[in-house]
Amino acid sequence: MKLMYDLPEADARTLADVSKGEGLMYCVPYNIEGERFVKGFLAVTNRALYKLLDGELLLRVPFAGSDDFRIEVMYGSCGFYVRTEGVSRLICRFISGRNLARYSVILRACEILCEQPDSEPITNSLPERFCPKCGRPYVNNTTICPYCMDKWEVYKKMFAMTKGLRLMMCFPFIVAIFSVIFSFVVPWIEAKAVNGYLEPLTGTASGDRAGFLLIVVAIVSIDLFQRALSVLQSRFSSLSGNRFIQMLENLLYEKLESLSLSSLQRRSTGDLMSRVNTDTGVMQDFVTNQLPNIFVQGVSFLVALIVMLTINPLMCLFIFVPVPFSVFLVKKFWSTMNLKNRRGWNLENKVNRQLQDTFSGIRVVKCYGQEKNEVERFRQTSMKSAKQTERNEMLFDTFFPIVSFAIRLGSYLILFYGNMLLFRGAMALGTLHQINAYANIVYSPLVWMTSVPRNVSRFLTSASKVFEIMEETPEVGDIGLPIDIKIEGEIKVKNITFGYESYDPVLTNVSVDIHPGEMIGIVGHSGSGKTTLINLIMRLYDVNNGAIEIDGVNIRDISQAALRSQMGVVLQETFLFAGTIRENIAYACPGASDEDIVNAAKTANAHDFIMDLPQGYDTVVGANGYSLSGGERQRIAIARAIIHNPKILILDEATAALDTETEKLIQDALQKLVRNRTTLAIAHRLSTLRNADKLLVLDHGRVAEFGTHAELLENKGIYYKLVMAQQKMGAMPKADKEKKVATA
Amino acid sequence: MNEKEKKDELLDDGINLDDGKRTSIRLTPENASFFRSEGGLISMELRGESGEVERFERVAVFRSFPITAPDEFLSVREISVIKNEHGDEIGMIRHASDFDEETQRLFAEELDRRYFTPEILKIGSVKEKFGYSYWDCETTAGHIVFVINNPFSNIRAMTDGKVYINDIDGNCFTVSDPKKLDSASYRKIEIYL
Repeated sequence: MKLMYDLPEADARTLADVSKGEGLMYCVPYNIEGERFVKGFLAVTNRALYKLLDGELLLRVPFAGSDDFRIEVMYGSCGFYVRTEGVSRLICRFISGRNLARYSVILRACEILCEQPDSEPITNSLPERFCPKCGRPYVNNTTICPYCMDKWEVYKKMFAMTKGLRLMMCFPFIVAIFSVIFSFVVPWIEAKAVNGYLEPLTGTASGDRAGFLLIVVAIVSIDLFQRALSVLQSRFSSLSGNRFIQMLENLLYEKLESLSLSSLQRRSTGDLMSRVNTDTGVMQDFVTNQLPNIFVQGVSFLVALIVMLTINPLMCLFIFVPVPFSVFLVKKFWSTMNLKNRRGWNLENKVNRQLQDTFSGIRVVKCYGQEKNEVERFRQTSMKSAKQTERNEMLFDTFFPIVSFAIRLGSYLILFYGNMLLFRGAMALGTLHQINAYANIVYSPLVWMTSVPRNVSRFLTSASKVFEIMEETPEVGDIGLPIDIKIEGEIKVKNITFGYESYDPVLTNVSVDIHPGEMIGIVGHSGSGKTTLINLIMRLYDVNNGAIEIDGVNIRDISQAALRSQMGVVLQETFLFAGTIRENIAYACPGASDEDIVNAAKTANAHDFIMDLPQGYDTVVGANGYSLSGGERQRIAIARAIIHNPKILILDEATAALDTETEKLIQDALQKLVRNRTTLAIAHRLSTLRNADKLLVLDHGRVAEFGTHAELLENKGIYYKLVMAQQKMGAMPKADKEKKVATA
Repeated sequence: MNEKEKKDELLDDGINLDDGKRTSIRLTPENASFFRSEGGLISMELRGESGEVERFERVAVFRSFPITAPDEFLSVREISVIKNEHGDEIGMIRHASDFDEETQRLFAEELDRRYFTPEILKIGSVKEKFGYSYWDCETTAGHIVFVINNPFSNIRAMTDGKVYINDIDGNCFTVSDPKKLDSASYRKIEIYL
């Protein structure tokens, strides 16, 4: 992310005058002053902030005496505020989409500079959302600028990908060449037939049957040959197309699975799905259909031009004179039509959305007696949509014939001029026919050609999206020689700092020592960094500073395979894959025996409810299968963790969403599970943590308290407050707490 | 007072179940006065029932109905200690016009900043390319080129005919009455309405 913009000369001079002897650290633009959009700059030196606009210094904010820097995200813009000597000021306003991330860094830097005036500049690695060259936005969720990308690079990579399929992919081109040749030869033969045998005026129609027969045979056999070729071509192109897309999808999917969670979470599921499905489809369509078509149309266009020039240059002129006009008209027509159609689809979508909305909320509609209003609302939306469709169709039906007429304008000119020549005897009937046929060859691709640029750009965007993923290096990677260790379960968190965005730390200077076999309860308000800490211990992300050690080895040095195979996780929301219960339990170790599976289920208190199902362990669950309750799913997840037999067990709100009855069952199951393992459990309901050896209280990303239940109650800190609060709400009966204090 | 005592007792015990939120009251010229602060923002004085005066170096003013009732139900808030969060609501103003003109001007300034929605005066060109729609416009805030992601959902006409346009940068533009634009501009936006 760019944090040092070049100042315009006037601003640079002003800044040099007012900030003598200070080191310039950042320089970022701001966009709004008063009611106007402006191109101003905010320069940050190690002593002060300078607001510059068109060579003038509007504001200087010294760091000495300043505190409370803050960004307020407002509607339509953001404001950067500061308090100096007790007086709040608006420093500047900027457009959020372009500069919010930049200013977050500046904010952090200002805070640091206020404390330590001579610190090093901080940076962030966040990608820009805009092309630095042209300022246009990148394609959604990518760093691709469709205007500035190197198109040849994309074509080259694409060509490299077709390895092994090239021969098959060449086939459409070979067929194309034949079909171009034939499309020119056939009218020529036909011209011969008409001129030599059919033309009534010359009177030669009688003799030479053999010659005429030859022409007939030629035409028929060419047609047959062409059809045979086209069958072959269809087969080959669907074959190569399918193989290509399958290879592409697999490569992409493999790559996606290997990427770290952080780069995957930056993108939405929908975006990733569309890259695997849609974008590869677009690439395949381009390579197997569009490209040969462009080739055929382009070549026939050129050949037709040359041939016609040789036959009759003037006539050729007649054909091409209306071309620019027709192309213009067609383009105009389609662009209006497309917009209108999109508007129509949009309205149709609205109708669908409304239907979906009311159907899913039908209980609310009925409860509040809003049926009539809903019907009225629906009637209006659907009427709007119907009217739009009507209008669109009328437009199309009126203008399409006109446009087609305009396209064929050239043919009429040819007919007119050709007939004049014909009557004068300057041209044979067959030749006229031939030229007319060629004119059609020129016109038919015209309409199609107007869509080529759009198809090409669609392909380029899709291809670069796919290549972007393919070329991404996983952020959390194994080092050169990762160690496979047998984990005992000692975890040392050494002074770690981490933020999903480097300028916004979620955890700061967190240190914890966990002994093998201990159960640690992690407590804190939501947003205090509990889940983040666990994500780091599982190494779904790498820490920014500090280190996490397991059995004295930095987790960066442990191979990911070894690490993950010895960790088990039970999350609040259990995800069951579509498949049988048996498969879901054995997800992490597919080789498990049936006995292991049943034992694990028994330990997890899941066996009984599984046996109640009609198909027992072979019952299909997941998206389209038998729907299990939250508690049942949770117990399957526990069985999954048990069979995995991890040395380190992580429970992230494992029982939060359950009723007390079910929780008891699960508590029992967990009780058996945590034995002899290092366990980290996050819980909101403190009763869940009654068996924890120690409790870790996190507050705003820092360790607030760490110790046994009794110690923390003694401290009367955050944990004490939480216990009291939950006690008030009845989540933890008083007697229970007292008993605990007594035992501790 | 009784409640305050209770609160103090809780605090003594180290427990604060009440999360310290202040109760919002209705603000009128009788109990609240607003000034331009030294830094050009809004300062406020709040007079309690028993005459005690609470001073705020800076308050923030928000609209409850930014689109349908911009000058009514204004929410006056403290500046929160926690960044990225709005502070507690000190109170609400029923109508901006309850206050004198100077104060209204002060509100208008703050609100125009907080709800920055330049009005489009003329649409130079609209180009759709690579899935984005590029607009080149003259607005009350000057000339600007902005980009809309999905024009059909990001250009919305309200029931009163006013049009709101949200671009991908978080800008918001308005057209109070598209029919009053010149015909070339109207044709460009009409398709999306």
